[in-house]
Order: sequence, then C-alpha cells, then structure tokens
Amino acid sequence: MKALVTGAVLTVLPFLAAQSRTSRPAAQSVPPALVERGKTLFGQNCAFCHGREGFGGESGPNLMDSDLVTSDVGGSKIGPVVRNGRPDNGMPAFTLSAPQIVELAAFLHAQKKKSESRPGGRRGVSVSDLQTGNVDAGRQYFNGAGTCSSCHSPTGDLAGVARRYRGLELEKRMLYPPKATATVTVTLPSGQTVSGTLSYQDEFTIGMTDAAGWYQSWPTTQIKYTINAPAEAHVELLGKYTDDDVHNLMAYLQTLR
Amino acid sequence: MLTVLFSGRLPAQGLDPATIANPPADSWPTYHGDYSGKRHSGLTQITPQNVSGLTLAWAFQTGQEATLKSSPLMVNGILYFTVPDNVWAMDARSGRQIWRYTYPPNKGLHIGHRGVAIYKEWLYFITPDAHLICLNAKNGKVRWNVQIADVEKGYWSTMSPLVVRDHVIVGVSGDMDNLPGFLRSIDPETGKTQWQWDSTPPLGTPNAPSGGMTWMTGTYDPGLNLIFWGTGNPTPVLTGKTRPGDNLYTCSIVALNADTGKLAWAFQPSPHDTHDWDAVETPVLVDADFGGEPRKMLMQTSRNGYFFVLDRTSGKNLLTMPYGPVNWALGVDKEGRPIPNPEKEPAPDGRLIAPDEAGLTNYRSPSFDPKTGLFIVAAHPSWSIYFAKPADGTYGWAGADYSVWGKGVIEAIDYQTGKIRWSHEVGGEARAGVLTTDSGLTFTGDNTGNVLALDSGNGKTLWHAGTSVRMESSPITYELDGRQYVVTGSGGVVFAWALPGTGQ
Repeated sequence: MKALVTGAVLTVLPFLAAQSRTSRPAAQSVPPALVERGKTLFGQNCAFCHGREGFGGESGPNLMDSDLVTSDVGGSKIGPVVRNGRPDNGMPAFTLSAPQIVELAAFLHAQKKKSESRPGGRRGVSVSDLQTGNVDAGRQYFNGAGTCSSCHSPTGDLAGVARRYRGLELEKRMLYPPKATATVTVTLPSGQTVSGTLSYQDEFTIGMTDAAGWYQSWPTTQIKYTINAPAEAHVELLGKYTDDDVHNLMAYLQTLR
Repeated sequence: MLTVLFSGRLPAQGLDPATIANPPADSWPTYHGDYSGKRHSGLTQITPQNVSGLTLAWAFQTGQEATLKSSPLMVNGILYFTVPDNVWAMDARSGRQIWRYTYPPNKGLHIGHRGVAIYKEWLYFITPDAHLICLNAKNGKVRWNVQIADVEKGYWSTMSPLVVRDHVIVGVSGDMDNLPGFLRSIDPETGKTQWQWDSTPPLGTPNAPSGGMTWMTGTYDPGLNLIFWGTGNPTPVLTGKTRPGDNLYTCSIVALNADTGKLAWAFQPSPHDTHDWDAVETPVLVDADFGGEPRKMLMQTSRNGYFFVLDRTSGKNLLTMPYGPVNWALGVDKEGRPIPNPEKEPAPDGRLIAPDEAGLTNYRSPSFDPKTGLFIVAAHPSWSIYFAKPADGTYGWAGADYSVWGKGVIEAIDYQTGKIRWSHEVGGEARAGVLTTDSGLTFTGDNTGNVLALDSGNGKTLWHAGTSVRMESSPITYELDGRQYVVTGSGGVVFAWALPGTGQ
C-alpha cells in the first residue's frame, strides 16, 4: 500500500517540477485539470457522506478541519484511509488507482485553501460552540442524577480528560465512548471458564482474545457466556439527558485538565 | 409435443405491464415484487419446518466494489439487477451472466442503486447523473437515453422506476443544494414526458422550501388509479429559518392520479423537518380490518421514528405510534402528524436527538405479513447530536450532525395498535430489508453478514448463513422449475438459496 502511494506521488512529480519553475509554492502549482478530476471522483464517491465540498454531510465528518488532510502530502495520508476504509466508523474501502488518489488529494487541498479564504459557509463545530453549560450544575449532575460518579472519578479515570480530548470529540465520547473494551467469560460444557476481551459477537458465535493474546471462539449454543460491558450504561442515559444536562456536563468535564 | 414436456413454457416475450398487478409465482416483476409494497410472497415450499436445510443454489460475483442495494427483477427465467452504472441480465437457474450493460463514467453521486423496471421487452435504468436509459431486455442495447435532471445543478438518482400501464415513473435525489424535487411520468416507447408533479413551489418563492426528493419507488392501487409516493426532506436541510411553516410537500406521502400526476391527497409525517428525515420509506398498501371495519390502508414506518396507518382512499390518519426512541416531537396533532418541538431544532451548542439522521429506518424494505398482521421492519434505535449556527448559512446541508449510538433490531409491529409484538436484535446497525412468505418465514440479515430466516410468529432464528458482509438490500423470492429460491445480495455478491433436491 505504502509503495503504491509513493508511486502515486512520483507520478505527479513531473507536473510539480515543471510548474515550479514558473510559480514558486508547490501547493499552488497543481494543474487545475488534476483538481477537476479529483472533484469528479469526490463527487462520485465521497460527497454523500462528506458533503460535496468536503465540509461534512450525511454521516461523514468535515474534511476541511481534518488533521489527516492537513498533514497529507499528495495522498500520503488520504490514500491509505480511502483504500482501507475505516470500518469501525462506517467508512467503506474504495478501490482507487494511485493517480486517482493523487487527484482526490489535490482536490481536497485546493478545497481547503478555498475554504480558508472564504467568509461564511459551514464551519463545523468549534470548541467555542460548546461553552454554554454551567460548571456547578454539571458537577452536581455528575455526582447526582447522572450517576456518572458510580463508575467515574474526576481524580481517577477522568483526571486530565480535557487535556486528552476537546470540543466535539470530548462531547461525543462523553455521550457514548466508541470501541470501549468489553470482557467476556465463557463457561464450557466441562465447567471450565475462559475469560478475555470480547472480540466478536453475533447470535451464533462468541469470539474473544484470551490472556495469551490468542483469538478463540465458540458456538453460542454449546457454551454459556457473560459479557461485562460497563460502557453500555451510557446508552441508558441517552434517553434521560436534557440538552442542558449535556451542556452542563460538558462544562464540568472541560474543567478536568 | 416437446414444448409440452418442457412444462408448456411459452417463448419469452418480455412482460405485459398488466401482470405487475398480480404477479405469477415465477416472477418478481417490479422493485417491491408487486404494486402493494408488502414484499410478501405466497410461496410455501420453504417452511419453518424445513428451512434448516436451506442451502446455496448458486452465487454470482459482480466483481464490483459497489455494494448491492438493488432488488433484482425476475421475468421469464432471467434476473435483472444493478449497481451504479451497471446492469446485469442473468440466468435465474444457473447464476450465469447473459449480458451486462455499463454506462460511461459520469459525474453523478455513486451512492447506491435500487434496480431496473421492465415494460414489455424494455428495461428502464436510471443513472447516477439522473438519465433514464431504455435498454433492450434481450441484449442490453440502448434504445434511448433521456435526461431527467441536470447533474451539474446537483441532482443525482439511485431509484428503480415504477411501471404503471404505459407510464414509467421516475424520481430524483439531491439535497446538497437547494433544488426542487419532482416526480415525472415518462412514455415507455418514446422517452417523452407525460406529466410532472413538483414537490415544492418554484425556486425563489419567498419563505418556501426546496427539496422533497422522490428517491424511492412508490406503490400503486389499480382500483383507485392512485400512485403513492414518499418525498424527501426540505432544503436547506438542518436549518428551517428561511422556510417557516410545514414545508409542503416535503417529508410527505402523496397520492397522485397515475395518468395525470394530479394530487389526490397528501399526509405529512414530518412537518417542518430539520433532521433530514425523508418520508420516502415504502408506502405499503394493505386491505384488512382496522378497528373492526374493512379498510384500504397505507402503512409506513417513517425515517422520523413513527409508524403511520392511513386510509389510502382519503389520506385520513388512523394510527400514529413511535416504534423506537423519539424525542423531537411535542405530541401528535389532530390530523395524526407529530408536532415538531422547536427546542429540538439543530442549535449552535447542539441538541441530543433520537433517532439519528439515518433514521429509525431508511430505504431498506419492510414487509407486511397478512397472516400474522405484522408489519416487520429493520429498525435502528439511535441517538445523535445536531448542530446549526448562522455561519453554516442557508444553502444545502447548513449544519452538522453526528451519530452517537445506535443498534439494529428487526421489529414486528401490530398494525392495529402500533405495539411491538416481537423484536430481534441484529447488531450495531440494521441495513437489510425484510421479506415474508405465506409459510410463516421472515428473511433478513444481521450486521455481521449473516442471512437470517426467522419465524414470523415470534422472531426466533430458524436458519442462518454467513456471507462475511452485511446485506444492504432487500431479499426477493420466486419459484422456478418447481423450486423456490430466495435471492439476497451482500457486498458485491448475489446469493440464491433453495432447498436441496427440489425442482429436480
């Protein structure tokens, strides 16, 4: 994968080299036709989720304030994500050729440049948008009605949480932490028990990664199992919060620096 | 005499559109299988008792990266199915390709494709850049190509047209721009427009919305000569400030005269929507008792989280009930419409909303089982946060939303009460549609790629097969050579399931 992307960068180098003789900054010297082809590819494959201009849309995040896009050079970072997808976040993999990745990246970089110079338009969710709550009310909710303190502690697991996450990411994790670890204990017909990290579950199969790091699985019909997924307690709360509770809790968590 | 030995089969002659109203067992002649949208089959060879022996008859690999989201048509022993830009004709006995048509590269959004329609010997295929192509069903050759809408303005299309006598009814998608939605009837022979119905007032009308896209296949009642169609969300999507009021006819179910496109009635599941909750989900037509009286009904599990039962002769509401968590309405008005809570419109500091933007259900088909009176739907109980601020503007999306949590559940709703009779969890998402059969089986899929056969009476699993990729289409069934097939698609592979030793 890496070699392919490197190859892609190389294929565009002649363009850049030729152009940079006349106009200095390499980023501006991308041929408009390249950007245009990237725009078409983006429109065909990406626009539904990320919005036609990359500002986010149905289910996909705003790419204009994405660290990945910012740090990308000619598809170096974008390429692997596009080709492998992000299955955990619902993003499928796309089979684009090396030159197509370069075109896509050229479009995103051009688009980012354009968006930065344009007033108005979608700006996504900034940290300053999420400052409407009340710290004291949030603390009270945390220790009281929210029952957060029955699992969490501001001096324990949440110490410094506002340094690790900020803004929208902190709020989303507060509401439901994605990819939280769950453990499973399987009782075999012999009565022996095996415990590990839950790795797979459907109604027919339970899979775990055991203490030695091996994946093991069993048909659900032949064993008994207990799953311990403490993060699922967040789901219960989703139906109980008022919007004020959410904003107040955010205000409180943001003090845990 | 030989023809008699070959079960009296007539030479293939395409499809008389009159048969769609009463399709024979060896066919699936339109997206929903018939005009009612029930996605229910009278076939009974596969039963709760023998389904544990169901096995693979054949699989067909498209070799395409695109996920199958289409329902195949089955006519005269040939299956016709699609992914964006591609149509296949396939031998329904063997899973072998007969021909393939590929549309040239184009700028339309390649998000999905629901399938083709057939009229006599012609297929009707809509392209991502919103053209309608008429293909010869014998060989996939293009007869004509007409533009439905302008891709440069931001339209695209994914839908499977509905054929009603000599009308090919087509719709459009596109809510990244403030564009008017419409439904159009096209002459199957010439490609000429017969009528057009517009979802919203002309662009530029003060305080009016745009939008109301018509991106899913509707249903038809030949007795009333009405087509029933769901319309999409208004635009701008997440802010309603430039479009006060109900925003008719966005997020609506409309009944139109099939020959003129004239509106007979409309019912609006989501007045003044600000959450992208299209009301395009299948308007399922059911004739049965309601409250002790025989009724011609229309039922919809809407994306906004409510199950609606209407009298389809008048559009009068009979029942409105949520079928999962919803927190955006203040109640239900006297016409049966949820009353949106202004406090739950997207805001600069975010609003916690159920369901999420993908909705409590979406384009995947539900099924109505007449024997149990159950409306069975793949539901997605879910929560999300919605944002909108002045800097987001009033064009296209105009805000942002983020799903927080969701799960997939197959739910069986009692249509007379809206109560959930049974539910069956299928993992983190519900993407597969539902098919029921007269023998009491419900076919669907889970989120990890298992195809499932459930007992329609209680939702218990009776059979499954792993395909490694979750199904994002809706199953179909037909009988061929005395053998019942259930056809599903996951990823880029079509699977045909049947009982061993049947049809031989």
